Amino acid sequence: MSIYLQIIEVSFWAGLAAVGFGVLFNIPKKTILTVFLLGFLGGVTKFFLLNFEVNIILASLLASITIGLLSIRLAHVIHYPPVVFAIPPMIPMIPGFYAYQALIAIMKYALLESTNHVEQLVLISKIFYNGFTMLFILIALILGISLPMLLLRKSSVKEGALPK
Amino acid sequence: MYMDEINSLKEKTDLILEISSLLMVSGASTARVNSNIERFSSVLNCEASSFVSHKSIVTTLSDKNSKETFTKVVNIPGHQINFQIIASISKASWSAIEDGWDIGRIKSEIDNVKNIVRYPRIVVLLAVSIAGAGFCKIFGGDYSNMLMAFVSTFIGLFIAQSSHKKGFNHYIGVYLGAFTASSVAYISAYYRIGMSPEATISTSVLFLIPGVALINSFSDMLDNRFLIGMARLVNGLVITSAIAFGVFSSTLIYNLFV
Repeated sequence: MSIYLQIIEVSFWAGLAAVGFGVLFNIPKKTILTVFLLGFLGGVTKFFLLNFEVNIILASLLASITIGLLSIRLAHVIHYPPVVFAIPPMIPMIPGFYAYQALIAIMKYALLESTNHVEQLVLISKIFYNGFTMLFILIALILGISLPMLLLRKSSVKEGALPK
Repeated sequence: MYMDEINSLKEKTDLILEISSLLMVSGASTARVNSNIERFSSVLNCEASSFVSHKSIVTTLSDKNSKETFTKVVNIPGHQINFQIIASISKASWSAIEDGWDIGRIKSEIDNVKNIVRYPRIVVLLAVSIAGAGFCKIFGGDYSNMLMAFVSTFIGLFIAQSSHKKGFNHYIGVYLGAFTASSVAYISAYYRIGMSPEATISTSVLFLIPGVALINSFSDMLDNRFLIGMARLVNGLVITSAIAFGVFSSTLIYNLFV
């Protein structure tokens, strides 16, 4: 049971992080609660899947698709463009930790004596593992947010409401 | 008669260019800029074709009745993300279509949009620092790590904002912010505050990540706008390398002490 409480706690912080970035991007005051909820739901999706040992790339993709789809539905309810809700909750999912690990490995590699081949191989595998995980998570996030918008909306969510 | 027509077309082109420049500065994707221009120009009884690049916009406006055209280029000032401007312009474009606004009404609405205020600096600093603490939690830090992530994000963002205000090059501001934030985080590693100081170090610089640039870059490229998509991607990559250099510098300094 406590594992679910932990998921909720971490997701709560993901929601707060989404709001923090929302404030940096100057989102309208009325959308702050929505952004928090989307960040929270994205976090719940991602950490729940990670708990069942789903790969982090797939988990990020599904979480970002959840956020993308919900933000389009919400744009109908509270009348703001979907980007306003969709982008701030994605920021906490950006794989900064992998970027950092890859960077540290690159630094160590650059500063290593060139005769130490075993250590070099270990570092190369670290660079590739962390670097590519970071790259694919980024692509997954961007796909997850762009695909619902590009697929569901021909030109705008409001198209149906246009007087003909 | 003819000059009147040209002058009114010139006025409309200026307005359309002002709107598109505002949208680009606020961080809208190119498809959004174009759809907003399309709505406003249809209200003004014109058709607009535009070429949008990272630093300038070219628009040709042609009157639907007389088929007269007017072309103008405008330079875009430095980008500063503001979703409230994007939301307000989008709303205004729909109201303009529904209520058939004239050019004066649109102009006064755009003037209102330009006066939208940002959140006060201290609110932004606190909110982003809380976000930094949240990141640290996500990457497995405990509460003392989170406190240090809060402090380092606060100081780092303060430095980045101040260098922006002083008119430094944007990337140098990012470098200084990343260097300061990661240095403060390394202080917590030096004094062994919390269980996983590496979570603090790696999350202290995340507030600088160019998320909007990267997301817009990919959505532009999925929309077949490769030039502006590549421009945004390169912008994002240069910012990311500036962050990496900042962390690199503070790591080198830290390694001198341990």
